Parts: sequence; C-alpha cells; structure tokens
Amino acid sequence: MIVGDLSRREFGTRLAGDGLRLQFGPFNLCIRSNLDSFASLAHRLYTPYPLLDEETLSDFHVEIRSPRGLHRWFRRQACFGVDGQTPFAPYTVEHAFPALEWGINWCVATRSHHLLMLHSGTVERNGQAILFPASPGDGKSTLCTALAHSGWRLLSDEFGLVRPEDGMLLPLPRLIPLKNESIEVIRRFRPEATIGPSFLDTRKGTVAHVRPPLESIRRAQEPARPRWLIFPRWVAGAPFALEAMPKSQAFLMVASNAFNYDVLDETAFRLVSEIVRSCDCYSLVYSDLNEAIPALDELCNTMAG
Amino acid sequence: MPSRLTVQEHPGDQLCEPSPISYLTKTAAEAGLIWENWDDLFVVYQPSSAETHVFNETTGSILECLGESALSADELKNQTEAALGVSQSELDDTDFAFALQRLEELGLIERLDDPSAAQ
Amino acid sequence: MAKAASERLRARRLLLDALKMPETLTALSLADWELLLRVARRARVLGRLESALDNAGLLGDIPPRAAAHLRAARNVIAHRKTLISWEVNRLFWALKEIDAPLILLKGTAYLLADLPPAQGRIFADVDLLVPEERIVEIEEKLVARGWFKTEIDPYDDRYYRVWMHEIPPLRHRERGTEIDIHHRLLPKTSHLASDPAPLFAAARPLADRQLRVLAPADMILHALVHLFLEGDPDEGLRLRDLLDVHDLLCHHGQEPGFWASLVPRARVLGFQRPLFYGLHHAQGLLGTPVPPDVLHDLEGEAPAWPIRKLMNRLIPLALLPGHPDHPSRQATLARWLIYVRAHWLRMPPGLLIRHLSHKAWLRFRGRRKRVDLAQLDLKQQ
Repeated sequence: MIVGDLSRREFGTRLAGDGLRLQFGPFNLCIRSNLDSFASLAHRLYTPYPLLDEETLSDFHVEIRSPRGLHRWFRRQACFGVDGQTPFAPYTVEHAFPALEWGINWCVATRSHHLLMLHSGTVERNGQAILFPASPGDGKSTLCTALAHSGWRLLSDEFGLVRPEDGMLLPLPRLIPLKNESIEVIRRFRPEATIGPSFLDTRKGTVAHVRPPLESIRRAQEPARPRWLIFPRWVAGAPFALEAMPKSQAFLMVASNAFNYDVLDETAFRLVSEIVRSCDCYSLVYSDLNEAIPALDELCNTMAG
Repeated sequence: MPSRLTVQEHPGDQLCEPSPISYLTKTAAEAGLIWENWDDLFVVYQPSSAETHVFNETTGSILECLGESALSADELKNQTEAALGVSQSELDDTDFAFALQRLEELGLIERLDDPSAAQ
Repeated sequence: MAKAASERLRARRLLLDALKMPETLTALSLADWELLLRVARRARVLGRLESALDNAGLLGDIPPRAAAHLRAARNVIAHRKTLISWEVNRLFWALKEIDAPLILLKGTAYLLADLPPAQGRIFADVDLLVPEERIVEIEEKLVARGWFKTEIDPYDDRYYRVWMHEIPPLRHRERGTEIDIHHRLLPKTSHLASDPAPLFAAARPLADRQLRVLAPADMILHALVHLFLEGDPDEGLRLRDLLDVHDLLCHHGQEPGFWASLVPRARVLGFQRPLFYGLHHAQGLLGTPVPPDVLHDLEGEAPAWPIRKLMNRLIPLALLPGHPDHPSRQATLARWLIYVRAHWLRMPPGLLIRHLSHKAWLRFRGRRKRVDLAQLDLKQQ
C-alpha cells in the first residue's frame, strides 16, 4: 500500500491518532500531527511513498503539532517532537511542513551510526552511482533534482548512506528541499516536476519541496555501488568545468563533509579510503543545467564500459 | 565535536613549550597507524586516538626513518634527508623541529633521556 | 487515562526486564521492541543492552531493525572509549614530570581499570581527582602542553572556583574531550562532609603508578553521591548511574570483607544516607544482591518515616524515563523535587536560591535548549 491508497480523511485520522507509518528507504517512520494544513500537504506530496502496517518496528517517532499548554492561545506555532522530546524552538505554524521534513533528516543524521553518513547527494544509473559531496549552497540538491528528472535514479539529495558491511550506498529518496532561485531553475528545466508550495522566510530563505520521480521511490530498497566522486559548485555565469581531482584532496573533502566520519573511527577511514580508491574523482563548476546534465551523461557513458 | 582531521602544516602560530632534544623513539600508537599514500601526501589513521592525519613527505619520512631503535635528533634528521633525496642540512631546522614536536604531541614519538631505555 | 497508566507500566516493565534479564529479549514482539528502544534511548542504556546481548551471543536472534539501533549505540560508545583512553594517555604524557597522584573517577576509572560498568556505557568527559594544593601546577602544565580553559560565563567561573569541588573544565585545542579536575567529591558548601584525604590514602594504583582509582567501597560511594546529588531537573536521577553501582556491587561483592567494610566506610566519609537509598533502590529496581545484615545495619541511617515514605515514591519516578507518548506530571514533579533536594544538600540556602534563579533565567533565554546545528551541517528551515 502507498499513501495514495488512503483517502485524505483516513490519512488525517492516522496522523492525529496512533500515527502514520511510512517507509523512507532504510528507515521506518511513525509520524503524528494534529495540524490540518500539514495533513493536506503531506497527503499530496507523500502520495507514492509506501505505507507500513502496524506489525513493523518504527525507527523514529516524530510529530509536528501545536504546542501544549498556554502558548497555543497567543501564538500559532508548530513544535517538532521526537520520542516525547522537543529539541528545537517552535516554528510558525505555516512552516510546519518544512520543519517536519528537516526534523526527520535531523533524526537520521544524529542517530543512524550503524551506517556511514556522508553529506552528499547521490544518483545512480546502470548500477553505478555518482556521489556529490558538498556543503550547503553548493548546488547539490539542484543538480540531483535535475539528474533525477533526466534518466538517473535519485538515491538522496542529502545523505550518502554507506553500508559498512559491503560499502554499498543505500537509497533515501525523500522530498528534495530546493532553496531560493533553484526553485525557479528547476521549474524552467523540468516544468513537469512535482513541486510543493513555496515557504517564504524560513531560516534558509524560500524553500519548496520537489517529489522525486516515481521510479526513484519505487526502487528505494535497491542499493548502488559508488563509481564517481564529483564535488560540485554552482557559480553564477561560470563556464562549465569538470576537472580531475587529486585523491588526497578528495579524501579530505569526503571525510570533512560527513555526518559521522568522526564517530565511526577506523570503519569510516577504511570505507572512505575504499570509495576514494575505487571512484574517479572530479571537481565540477557549473552555472547551466543544460550544459552540466549532458556532460555528466557523457562521462557516465564513456567511462561505464 | 570538532573535526578529528588534523593537517600537518609548516610551523605556525600554535607552538607549545619547546623541550630539549634528546633521543627519539616510536610509540605503541605509531605501530598501529594505517597509511594511505595519494599524490605526495600521506593520509594516516591513528586507531589509538581516532584521529586522521595528513602528513607531507617530510613528516612521513621521519616516521619511516625512525625504525626500531632510538635515534638522536641529528641522526634522524640526516636519515630523513637521505630518504627524501635532499642534501645534508637542506631540511630547515625549524621545520624539522616543528614536525618532531607535532609528532610528539600526537603521541606518535617520544623522547628518551637514555637511548638504552628504548624497548 | 487508563490506557496511559497501563502504557506507562508497560514501558517500565520492558526497561527493567531488559536490564535484569537481557536473555529474554529474544522473545520480545516487534511492538515491545519498538517501545523498549525508545525508552532505553531516553535512559541512555541502548549500549548496555547491546553489550549484554553480545556477551550472551544473542545479537543474531533479535529483529535486524532493533539490532541496527543497538549497533549504532555500540559504535558511538566504542568511539567515546577511544577518545577517553587517549585523553588519559595524553594527560599522563603531559603530567609525567609532576609527581602528583592522579585519581581517575567515574567512567574514566571504570574504563582504565577495566571494571564491569565500562561495558556498553557511554562516556562523556575525563574526571580526575587531584590534591587541591597541586591544582594550580597541574593546570599550568596542561595549558603549556596545548590544553586551554574552556570559556564559561563569569557567573559559572566564580561559582566553580568559590563554591565548587572542581575547576572549570579544560580541553585540548585539537581534541573535543573535556577534562574535569576535582579536588574533592562534593562542593565545599555541601551539607555532607567530604574530606578527600581518606580517599587518597586508600586509592589503588593502576599499571602506570601515577594513575589511580578509588578503593572499591569509595568508588561505589562516590557513584552514589554522584547519582543522588548531581541530578538534572529534566532527566531526574540517572538510571545509568544506578546501573554502575549495581555492576560494581556485583563485582566487588565477591571479594572477601567487602560487604563488612562498606557501611563503616560510608560512616567515615559521611555518605551513609546515599548508601541507604542506593542499596535499597538498586535491590528494588535491579535485583542487586545485597546481604540482609548490611541492609539491617543501615536501618539506623534511614530518614524519619514520612520522609522515607516520600523518597521511596520519588526516587523510582525520578530514575525511570517514563513513557515517551504518555508523560506523567507526577514524574516531572518528582524529578524537580529531587533536583532541588540535591542542590539543597550541596549549597547553603541563600546561594541555592541565587543559583536556581540564575539557571532559570538562562533557561528562559533558551540557552539550555540550544542544539549545535553547525556541526550537523544540515540546513535548518
């Protein structure tokens, strides 16, 4: 069953009751909310995601709801909660949806130390994956969104989840939060993409969520092998440049753009070393997706054989 | 949590108190190091401290030259210069002393007053 | 309400059964696993469950999704153990020219002395006990060797130096581990006596003779003092501290003469009351084997009847994490009362009010809720 199989009413009842149980890649979530506006949007954007039945173990129990106590009467707010704790200050109720989406990522990043978590966009074609490790603002979400709508499969725009047992990358194809001008860039590049409403004045400016193509969500249990490490940087007006990067530098950039390289000790060192050894490493500067996407396609076609 | 990547650079601002040079030997922590060599750098993992270091060729050579027995700083410097293929005393004294001090701080080498005390 | 009450009972039973009888976990349903993981995470004992199952060879017999959570906890613990051991190695290097005894406390001691509580336990900082008259020298040496004094606000700095039993934490400029240097186990202001001299006299050396740990009875008494006097208003009493005591009692209880010496030692150090509560609740909640004559001997140390009855009710409420979906007002109140009591025992009343009001003010400004997002590098909306 998928979310789309539930009526809007049944969906809202589950959210307000014992919780809506959803599967996002390797993680099972139980989501609760008493906010009607949240339920409407979630019902629309989560449509293709698989539902879990009651007899499953949820990894994270998250909620986004109006605050308890007096607060709710003088300010319309939404609180993110996990396991009965509220780790963040309340958000305005209009930002409930991005707050929950961000909160789920926070749970993954702070708790999933059974996996190596690289801070990296990840896409796959023919069983081979490109990792795009980068800092916020380097355009990895934009690039991943564009590739996911151009014949590549999205694993994640944010997490390179490496399974320590075999070094394979696990997909986590969640909604992609685009920021500011990249929203318009993607609307122009792929008018058919499913994009949620724009949330203005969040702490990162304007945010809108793109739903990954159905194919990426359907194949969310299919891992992929790392093949390329590409360090992207979006620079306004810059000519396209794809240049080989020294492996030592690639190692440092992967290790320092990771959520838990610091926690996994020798396992992390060995996994990152193996990724750097087995991948071709490049730095990429781009300003135009119409240049970047065909060039990455060509890289894949010529090197894959 | 600060990053556990330390990069070995030339002498900088953060020198600790200098200690007189005596005899040098490797520590047990050095024996556990895991080395990767890319380009002209060594990326080295230290399991005892969970730190990842980036060593340049000089620092890498110092550890390679410091074998099983203790060496005086002068002997070690000569051997390092030979291993790097540079002429004697071409390695800057300050750079060399800094590298030794960093390696000692990282717990990879230690100073002995009496070289026969090694092992 | 009836559902909430029965769910709370279920959470409590799941957690205590898992801690006492980890071998029964292989029979747990998925729904019970789900609640147990949430409760055990809150009590920070996931690593302990992992290590118990690992020792019994049962990790392969539990649901893989539960095993992944335990694996994650194990990885974090392994990492923290490495950091703590290494920090002690570097401290030893930095201080080897100083001929002062360094007594390792709490987790650091369990780890370096390889004692049972070290298994599956999370470690935060390095805790040291040193003679008060050597503190300046030790601090100076560490600063010369690359450590620095962490920045704390002037109120806290004064609070530490004037009233407390430790100095503000030190941290090496390249490493994250904090070192807490104590010169006694309790603040100078405490209602309980805490002359550190007998502790130094009884301490036991480790392989590196400069490094020492407290004698068994002292170590247990310190763990209890820490448990009952260093509470947290949100978390209450730390169940994991009581588990430390349970492990130490099971371990040292085998040694001849240990039990006979425990109560007299508590009287020497002035820690009879924490020992009374500790033995009573370790036995009650965790089934710790305590000889009846020891409990009998301690009866004279019990508080007056109404206080005793009240504390018997408050302590388990403050020790157990509760149910994540059904918080109990009673438990919240119990945690707060226990916290105020701990502070009452640590400070004279005038200072207590100043301290609590200062903390409440910080809390109002949201300081205590601050989460370091920069480190996570996630883009907050």
